[in-house]
Amino acid sequence: MAEEIMDEMDELDVAANADDDAQKGKYMTFQIGDEYYGIAINYVNEIVNIQSITGVPEVEDYIKGLINIRGKIIPVIDVKVRFRQEPVQYTDRTCIILIDVNSTMVGLIVEKIADVITINEKDIIPPPSLNQSVIGKDKYVFGLVKVADEVKLLLDPEKLIRDEDPMSLE
Amino acid sequence: MGEDFNTESMLDIFLYESEQLLETLQNVVLEQKDEDCFDDASINEIFRAMHTIKGSSGIMMYDNITKVSHKLEDVFYYLRESHPDNVPHLELVDHVLDVADFITAELDKIKEGDTPDGDESQIITELDKFLNKIKTGITETGDDLPPENKHEEPKQFYIPPTENESSKYYKASIYYRSDTEMCNIRAYTAVYSLKEITEDMEYMPDDIITNEDSGAVILEDGFHMLIKCQCTKEEVLEAIGDTSGVDWVEVNECTAKEFEMGFHEQEPAPIVIELDDKDKGKGKEKAEEKKEEKKEPTPGDYVIKGKETGKGKKLAKNQPKNSPKQSYISVNVEKMDSLMDMIGELVISEAVVLQNPDLKVPGLDLSNFQKAASQLSKITTELQDVIMSMRMMPLTNTFQKMNRIVFDVSRKLGKDIELEVIGENTEVDKNIIEHISDPLMHLIRNSVDHGIEAKEDRIAAGKDPKGKITLEAKNEGGKVYVIVRDDGKGLNREVLYEKARKNGLIGNRPMSDFTDKEIYQFITYAGFSTKEQVTEYSGRGVGMDVVVKNIQTIGGKLEIDSVEGAGSEMTLKIPLTLAIINGIVMEVGSSTFVIETNAIKEFVRFGKDMLVKEPDGEEYVMLRGECYPFIRLNQRFHLEETDSSIDAEDGIVVVLEHENKYVCIFIDTLIGEQEIVVKPIPSYIKKVQGLSGCTQLGDGSIALILDIAGLITDQERR
Amino acid sequence: MKILMAEDDFASRKFMSNYLGKYGDCDITVDGEEAVDAFMMALEDEEPYDLICLDVMMPVLDGYQALKAIRDIETERGIPEKDRVKIIMTTALNEERNVKKAFEMGCTVYSGKPIDLDKFEKILKKLELIE
Repeated sequence: MAEEIMDEMDELDVAANADDDAQKGKYMTFQIGDEYYGIAINYVNEIVNIQSITGVPEVEDYIKGLINIRGKIIPVIDVKVRFRQEPVQYTDRTCIILIDVNSTMVGLIVEKIADVITINEKDIIPPPSLNQSVIGKDKYVFGLVKVADEVKLLLDPEKLIRDEDPMSLE
Repeated sequence: MGEDFNTESMLDIFLYESEQLLETLQNVVLEQKDEDCFDDASINEIFRAMHTIKGSSGIMMYDNITKVSHKLEDVFYYLRESHPDNVPHLELVDHVLDVADFITAELDKIKEGDTPDGDESQIITELDKFLNKIKTGITETGDDLPPENKHEEPKQFYIPPTENESSKYYKASIYYRSDTEMCNIRAYTAVYSLKEITEDMEYMPDDIITNEDSGAVILEDGFHMLIKCQCTKEEVLEAIGDTSGVDWVEVNECTAKEFEMGFHEQEPAPIVIELDDKDKGKGKEKAEEKKEEKKEPTPGDYVIKGKETGKGKKLAKNQPKNSPKQSYISVNVEKMDSLMDMIGELVISEAVVLQNPDLKVPGLDLSNFQKAASQLSKITTELQDVIMSMRMMPLTNTFQKMNRIVFDVSRKLGKDIELEVIGENTEVDKNIIEHISDPLMHLIRNSVDHGIEAKEDRIAAGKDPKGKITLEAKNEGGKVYVIVRDDGKGLNREVLYEKARKNGLIGNRPMSDFTDKEIYQFITYAGFSTKEQVTEYSGRGVGMDVVVKNIQTIGGKLEIDSVEGAGSEMTLKIPLTLAIINGIVMEVGSSTFVIETNAIKEFVRFGKDMLVKEPDGEEYVMLRGECYPFIRLNQRFHLEETDSSIDAEDGIVVVLEHENKYVCIFIDTLIGEQEIVVKPIPSYIKKVQGLSGCTQLGDGSIALILDIAGLITDQERR
Repeated sequence: MKILMAEDDFASRKFMSNYLGKYGDCDITVDGEEAVDAFMMALEDEEPYDLICLDVMMPVLDGYQALKAIRDIETERGIPEKDRVKIIMTTALNEERNVKKAFEMGCTVYSGKPIDLDKFEKILKKLELIE
């Protein structure tokens, strides 16, 4: 499954190099628990199958450790844990989405990869009223969109990988 | 720019040498600024520097530089000959620095291709006044003035070429209609009209006059010309004209290089990379080649071989015009970076090969393989050394610059401050030097401006009225430490906390939530400094957070420590871009760790009787009557518990040492010793005390590298 | 002022002779050998040149060889330093060792190409060839 998605992404890449606007509005979707989430495709570098993760001591619970992709050592986080949900066992459907946020590379462990969808900006609905004390996944969702009767929650990758609390910045 | 000139052009050498002289001069002056007067050696050195610059600038007719250095040379001439007492030293220091600054500014203009048009008259007037003061001083004591300082007028001159190379280069092609006859003659007509306006020209085919068949070639492939002239494209087109039979004409700009390369396939000039003196042994053959190339030009080298129609000038010496004889090349830094990455990958690949599971077939005779493998290892090690040495440079220059800053700023603020420099010869990657200069300047300015108190305050506090700032660099455990330490007033916890709170940086968390070090870090937050703190020298809060960002770009971090009333210490910790160390790989539970070989004192088979358990849970190991703290890594790092952690039977105890402090760890198995490429743990993951990086092993798995110093510090804290 | 020019490139020749023509009579030669011959001839006619402009890259004899020949002739004839002809080498070669060699061999001015005309004029004044 990862290979197919990669092929589609390669095509997108070619198109994108020709015209950056082509990427706007395209989102990589995936499944966590019962819900579907999306991340803007321009953040996504690569998708790989779940592989051996080297644990790193004394890190946040959602940071699972490090993986080795062709010599590059990349930290990975378990998105379900990040959402403060009960973690699940990794299966062979589990994938890691490698994203690049402002030159920081991080891998997102997700349960299942879904399709790449195109979304019109005007179809994105802001999430229901946010208050500061919101925890869990809602903190990272910047918008919702309905695609064929299914709601996809769109994630802000920068918020997803960073804590907003300035005290815990590296 | 000085380290980097890739031609030995007269102008470049003049600029480089003059800059070196001025830098040395500045250092000499700053070293002696606090003395009563310059010592003889310095006087001579300054005299010689000015004399040399006067001479070389005279040859190149940079009159204002010549006049200024001439005047200062005179001053030092009198100092040298008469040794007058009571020379106003600080005033003299100022004059020397003024001259140095003036000349440097003019040199910068020349570097940029501008005219050095600085007005030297003010400096000359002041130097004249000073000189008279000295002369009067000499005669007043009854001594005679020494004979006038003789200046030789330059007799030979060099005029650098004007920068504005207004020559343009074009590639032109003419295509004739297929029914056109005698294309070669038509082509010649075009060439003839072009000759009026071109400086130099080459065309293909070149035998248009002598060979009738060239017409056919032209019909087939077109007629091509390389043109050097001062004209516009339109003027070239016009000159070619619209002779009948022409199907279409194309004229495009090209580069000077393309013009020089001509229509003949020329091999690019061989690239020779200059090796350091200390690598001379390895580069012997290269050195021989280089020596030949560096031979003096001999009369006769530049005679032009008979000029052939259509071909550009070729020297009899078989050396294409303007081919640069380079003994240095300047390399795009990105290429060096990829080279560095590749050597790291090479080391890893080598490990993958040499530790390949396919080789672990029992009974296999690998003696030939081992010999070949060790040869391979030798070569990759040498390769690493050369590549690393290409990039490593001492911090000396960067540190020397700080001298001037401390001098200037402390003087302007009326403070008396001494800068102590330690470890300036520490070598770091070139990339790091570029990123460290500005942050360092900022930290030093801060220390001078905000750290060191005014003289009266220091005296009132019982301190030496003279402030001290220490700038130190050292290499340790794959990292470079650059420390700025001052004995000023230090940081106040409450003040910092209040300020951060007031500026909304920390919400409402109470002060007790933070450790001292965390509070000190507040000063690096954007928006920390308020207007009151802005001075000419240390600016707004824009400063510290930018410093931290710069350091993070190279993977480093800034640590701040302070004792109120006694001073502060800013430490920049920067990982070496590529560290390859010898390490021992070991397994603890299901994790693999690596420890730098140097840190390991010994291995001991575990015996239960060694273990001593304190009531508070702390464990110790007894070895030959000595007691060492004992760490169970998997407990410490909260890794999966394995059986071996409880009732160790088969484990190994490793005794580690750092700066005469010892600690023991417990491991399950020793895998072996190998070369490790130290890769930083991605900065996304917060720093873990006790780990200094990670690496990829021969089988592709990741091993964590233990930081012994960190483990020991952590242990002590508990 | 009597000027001798040796330059094998047509365009440069045209340019230089136009420029130098302002200051005096300009004789043109196209290779190193011709230049040395012209120099000799002028000496023997007792109407020596005040200034010689030599290109470096020329056919038959290059600028260095011509420079050497001219200085050797002056030495052989016992012409004192202050009376020797001023020689300006013009060339696109700007490496330090080229300049040093030219100075060693007795060249007065070494000018890179393209020629900085302002400095050129300044030097002519300094050498007291023009007002």
